[in-house]
Amino acid sequence: MWRKTCLSIILAVSVLAGQAQAAETIKLGALYNLTGGMSSIDAPALRGAKLKAQLLNEQGGVLGKQLEVIGYDTKTDQKAAATQAKKALSDGVVAGLGYGDTTFVMAAAPAFQAKGVPFVTSGATHPELPKWVGDYMFMAPFGDDDQSYAIADYTYKVLGARQVVVWTDNSMDFTKALSKFFKERFQELGGEIILEDFFMMGDKDFSAQIARLKNTSPKPDAVFISAIPNEAGLTVKQIRESGLDLPIVSGDGFDTELVTSVPGPELANDVYFSTHTYRGDDRPEVLNFIEEYNKAYGRDPENAFCPLGFDAVGLIADALERAGSTDGEALRDALANTKGYQAVTGEITYARPSGVPVKGVSIISVHDGKYNVEKVWYPEY
Amino acid sequence: MSGGYILQQLVNGLILGSMYALIAIGFTMIYGIIRLINFAHGDVVMIGSFMTLAFLQALGWPFYLVALAVMVGGALVGVAIERSVFRPMRGAPQVTGFIASLALSIMIQNMGILLLTAQPRNFSFPDIFQQVITLGAVSFRMVDLVIMLTAWILMIGLILLVKMTRLGVGMRATAENLEVARLMGININRTIMATFAIGGSLAATAGLMYGGKFGQIDPLLGFVPGLKSFVAAVVGGVGSIAGAICGGYIIGMAEVLFVGFLPPIYSAYRDAFVFGLLILILLFMPNGLFGKKSEDRA
Repeated sequence: MWRKTCLSIILAVSVLAGQAQAAETIKLGALYNLTGGMSSIDAPALRGAKLKAQLLNEQGGVLGKQLEVIGYDTKTDQKAAATQAKKALSDGVVAGLGYGDTTFVMAAAPAFQAKGVPFVTSGATHPELPKWVGDYMFMAPFGDDDQSYAIADYTYKVLGARQVVVWTDNSMDFTKALSKFFKERFQELGGEIILEDFFMMGDKDFSAQIARLKNTSPKPDAVFISAIPNEAGLTVKQIRESGLDLPIVSGDGFDTELVTSVPGPELANDVYFSTHTYRGDDRPEVLNFIEEYNKAYGRDPENAFCPLGFDAVGLIADALERAGSTDGEALRDALANTKGYQAVTGEITYARPSGVPVKGVSIISVHDGKYNVEKVWYPEY
Repeated sequence: MSGGYILQQLVNGLILGSMYALIAIGFTMIYGIIRLINFAHGDVVMIGSFMTLAFLQALGWPFYLVALAVMVGGALVGVAIERSVFRPMRGAPQVTGFIASLALSIMIQNMGILLLTAQPRNFSFPDIFQQVITLGAVSFRMVDLVIMLTAWILMIGLILLVKMTRLGVGMRATAENLEVARLMGININRTIMATFAIGGSLAATAGLMYGGKFGQIDPLLGFVPGLKSFVAAVVGGVGSIAGAICGGYIIGMAEVLFVGFLPPIYSAYRDAFVFGLLILILLFMPNGLFGKKSEDRA
C-alpha cells in the first residue's frame, strides 16, 4: 500500500512538472544516432546542440521561453530514424535538427516536410538534400560540391598534381558524392584520374589497395581519399607505413584528431583536407565555443560535428526570434531569409536557389602531426 | 602485374589471415568443448584491446606486464560471462546459447559506447613493433610477424593442453558427453569455467594484437572480426583448432587476393565475397576442412 501511494505521488508530481515545463519551453527535436556505428559522429553533434540551447537559456531563452533540445536516439537504423521523426513530431517540436550523414536525413526529414515543420541538418552535406526533401529542409554545413571543388582546386593549383588516384568508400551517399564532385572539378581543371579504388566503411586493412597504388604507372601525384573519420587515420597510417610519400587529400571526413594520432607525428605528413572553417581558426565565435564546450563537458570538442550541432540550434533560434512565433511556415520563411548569421563554422547565408548555404571552406594541411589552416576558399555563386 | 606485386599481395593475405586465425582459435575452442557458437567472442577482443590501452597508455606499464595483465583480465571476463550468462542456461538447446551470445554481443557493444563513447581512440604500441621490415619487393611490420608467431604458439599450446593435460582430458570428456563426464567424477563447472577462461584470454590477446596492428580502436571493433573468425572456424571445421588456423589463412588470403586481382570496382565487396565463400564451402564440405563428420552444428 505504502509503495502504491509513493508511486502515485511520484507519478502525480512528475505529470504536474511535465505540464508546467511544457507550458514554458520551445521544443526542438534532435534526431541523432547515439548508439551504433554512426555514434562517433552524431553523439558529439547532440552535445554541441544541447550546449547552444543551454547558453541561450542562460541569456533568457528564445521568444521569452526556455529552449528544450530533446534528443532522440535512432540507433544507426534508418527505420528507427523514420519512426523517431514521427515521435518527435507528435511530441510537438517546432523544428527538427540532426544527423551528420545524408542517408539518415533522407529517412527522417520527409516526415517533417509533410507536417510543415522545418528540419535543419547539422552535418549532412549532400548538396541535393533540400531538393530531395523540400522547402522545409535546411543545411547548416556547406555542400559536398563546395568542399570537393575547394580541395580539387588546391590539389591542382597549389600542390601542382596532374595525375591522381581516387579512393572511395562505396558504402555511403556522402563519400560517393564527395568523389564524384572531386573528379568532376579535377578533370575540368585539366587533371587526370589514373586509377579509382574502393573500400567499405568499417574496413580496417587497406594493404591490398595500397599494393595496387604502389604499382600504378605512371606514378600518381596525389591520392584523394573519400572517407569518414573512422578510416581517415587508418588509411594515412597504412599508406605511409608502406613507404609511399605522395600527398593525401580529402574532405571533411578527415577533420579528426585520428589523422594525426593514429599514424603518429612522424607519419602524419603531407595530408591536406577541406573542411568547415573551425579547426585552427581564431574567430571569437570559435574560441568562445571551445571554452564553453570544455566548461560543459570537460574536454575539447571531438570533431567538427560538435560546432555544427551548436550552429544548427543557433540557426533555428535566430530564425525563431526573427519569425516572432513558432509557426512552421513563419519559421521556414525566417530560416530561408537567414543572412550573414555568425556561426561557429563560418558565416551562413541562404542565397542560392539550391538551399545550400554559401560558406567558406578551410583547406587544412598536416605536417609532422600538426594542423595548419592554409587558406579559406569561397564558392562562386 | 609484376612478380613483386603478386608476392606482396600474398604476404598481405598471410598477415591478415594470421589476425583472423588468432581470433578464430578461441572461438573454435569454446565451440569444440561446449558446442556454443559464441558471437560475443569478438567483443571480448574489443575488451582486450581497451584493457591494453588502459594498462599501456594510461597506467604506463611495461609491455610484458601489460600482455600478462591482458591475458589474465581476458580470462576473468570469460569467467564472468560464463557465470552470468551461459551457466544459467546450461542444458538448454544449442540455439538458446547462440541467441544469448548475440544479445550479449549487442549489450557489450552498446555498454562500451555508453561508458567509453563511440569515438575511435588511437593506440600506440612500443616502437619496436612498428619497425618496417623490407625483403626485396615485399615489406611488412614487426607487429605482423609477432601476430603470426603468437597465433602459432597459441595453437600448439592449446592442442597440447587439450591432448596432454588432466584439464584437457576433462574438457574432451565434457565435450563428448556432459552427463557421463559428471558421473565419471569430472568437475563440470570447473572444466567449463576453465574453457571460458582460456577462450577469454585468447580473445583478449587477439585484442591486444589488433590494437597494435591497426593503431585505432573503438567499442564496435569486435563485431566484424568476430563474424570473420566465425567464418574461419566454420571453413576449418568448427571445433578443430588446426582448422581454425587454416580457415583464418584462407579467409585472409581470399580477401586480399579478391581485392588485389579483380578490377578495383569490386574492392568494396570483399566482405560479401568472404561470406559467399562460406556458403560455397558449406555446400561442398558441410563439415569444413578438418571437421568430424558426425558433429552437429548450427
